[in-house]
Amino acid sequence: MSEYANPSVLVSTDWVHERLNSGIKIVEVDVDTQQYGAGHIPGAVAFDWTTQLQDQTRRDIIGKDEFEQLVGAAGISNDDEVVIYGDNNNWFAAYALWVFKYYGHDNVKLMNGGRSKWLDEEDKPLTTDVPSPAPTTYTVKGTNPAIRAFVQDVLGVVKDGNANLVDVRSHDEYSGKVIAPPGMSETAQRGGHVPGAKSVPWVTAVNPDGTFKSRADLEKIYFQDAGVIEGKDTIAYCRIGERSSHTWFVLKYLLGLPNVKNYDGSWTEYGSMIGVPIER
Amino acid sequence: MNHQTRVYDDIFEMLPDEDNPTPLVRINRLNPEPGFTLYAKLEWMNPFGSVKDRAASYLLRQMEEEKGLRPEGANGPDDPGKGIVEPTSGNTGLSLAGLAGVRGYPMKAVLPNKVPLEKKLMLRLAGSELEVVNDDLCPSPGMGEGSINLARTIARAQSDRYAMPHQYENENNVRAHMETTGPEIWKQTAGEITHVITSLGTCGTVSGLSKFLKAKNPDIRVIAVAPSEGHDVPGLRNKSQLAVTTLYDESLIDDVLEIDYELAYTRAAELFSREGLRAGPSAGLIFEGGRIVAQRDKTGLGVMIFCDDAFKYAKSFAKHMPELVEGTAPQNQQPEPIGALKE
Repeated sequence: MSEYANPSVLVSTDWVHERLNSGIKIVEVDVDTQQYGAGHIPGAVAFDWTTQLQDQTRRDIIGKDEFEQLVGAAGISNDDEVVIYGDNNNWFAAYALWVFKYYGHDNVKLMNGGRSKWLDEEDKPLTTDVPSPAPTTYTVKGTNPAIRAFVQDVLGVVKDGNANLVDVRSHDEYSGKVIAPPGMSETAQRGGHVPGAKSVPWVTAVNPDGTFKSRADLEKIYFQDAGVIEGKDTIAYCRIGERSSHTWFVLKYLLGLPNVKNYDGSWTEYGSMIGVPIER
Repeated sequence: MNHQTRVYDDIFEMLPDEDNPTPLVRINRLNPEPGFTLYAKLEWMNPFGSVKDRAASYLLRQMEEEKGLRPEGANGPDDPGKGIVEPTSGNTGLSLAGLAGVRGYPMKAVLPNKVPLEKKLMLRLAGSELEVVNDDLCPSPGMGEGSINLARTIARAQSDRYAMPHQYENENNVRAHMETTGPEIWKQTAGEITHVITSLGTCGTVSGLSKFLKAKNPDIRVIAVAPSEGHDVPGLRNKSQLAVTTLYDESLIDDVLEIDYELAYTRAAELFSREGLRAGPSAGLIFEGGRIVAQRDKTGLGVMIFCDDAFKYAKSFAKHMPELVEGTAPQNQQPEPIGALKE
């Protein structure tokens, strides 16, 4: 993994296994929240992306106070080294990592391959014991707005063309054939994509075992094949901002693009706005 | 055990084999090609009502031999026993639960939410616990399904309580058909079979039948039917959904026929009303495959594997054939709404 631009944000299952009782804090974030209860890495706590990482009233990530409360109750201190993992190729784990980074917790990493890889390796223990960590007083010292895009930022790029836009949804969502994947309740008023966006479905970045592809493969996928330009600022988006956190992670940390933002309003916001330009 | 009088000491003795085959029944009124004989193999005549009894009995035996299954209470009244956990769309779980119950083993079925309620209730009746997963939450191509990963997690984290046969990867699933279904058909047709037509799910049936029958006669054509994209034929997979199973081997199959999934329902209804065969949707799709092959190849003897019957799928039939619901209430009254129609 040393090949990546910022290798310190990604750790292997073996790395985690060797440090299970070393004081690192492990957090599981799944799409399917039943998975944690059935068995998880010993010592790991679980965050529920629907109820704990999103504001329950307005559409937003959780506020500063809620983040402090959530992380403090999980026994995590400001100086702790946090490792996040989850199902579905770390999809929602990457979203949680983005929220941690947004609230200024720098020492946070993803476990490469997520829970599927851990399950595949017979030497890796699983438990159903839910830990009861001693609560801490966690204080957010500042936010990191540079990693978050709002719709004004996206419209600015549409107007000036001065940044890469990466649409990480499926090809059918990008083309406007469907507005959302089948069965999704959150949707938009219109199908299509932001003008100028390049289409690279998020899952293109991972190997069959759930680990990230090599840096050379990722460079080919994003730079050579999709036409993402290396030196430019970049905004990644999807439907509700979770899948794009995964691509945000790839572009920012594995490929080292200078200024990458996740647009968490994503298509459910953009595709519902009056009068904004849409391409199909 | 006496197959002649059909008197048995327990349900295990009723499991099918060469001496106790499931019936073959010829298609008459619905056969589109007089020169081509079509037989349906009625797998719903198995003890738990589907073709899955075959794989389930092989898988259970293997788990007993290799994973040390233990009946509840084996080591005292507080011993919960050690049983089976398996991701299943219903039929394998039902067979496993039924067989496990006879032996006293606990059973936990992990299944996607889209499985029809009837199948879930049958699993409960057979004594299985359920873990229901909302697979629709995971629109991620190439990933293992949520139910499979959850079952794997349970088998790893609670290995003292559950063992997982993993029907999608277990060669005993294939072996069951090499040792029972294949020899039955060979004997029942006196070796005259020219085509076998079945569906794709775990692919244990198609792989096992192909290995046995092609060893007997390499000219036998093995045809698989697959429902068209976006289908909701329970238990079946189309080609884009096969990544999940390691038992699919393209080299064992001569043709994969992709068929409009609505025909699964309409053909099944024709089979019931005109041949007296109470076919479930998968059997309806396979019958359409048989029709296509008969019309294409003109002569031969085809055997179609009719996996299970219609009884578990009333809601699915009502959804795809809304005309079935007409006339089910007194005049001037609306028919009672059923769940699948509200979608």
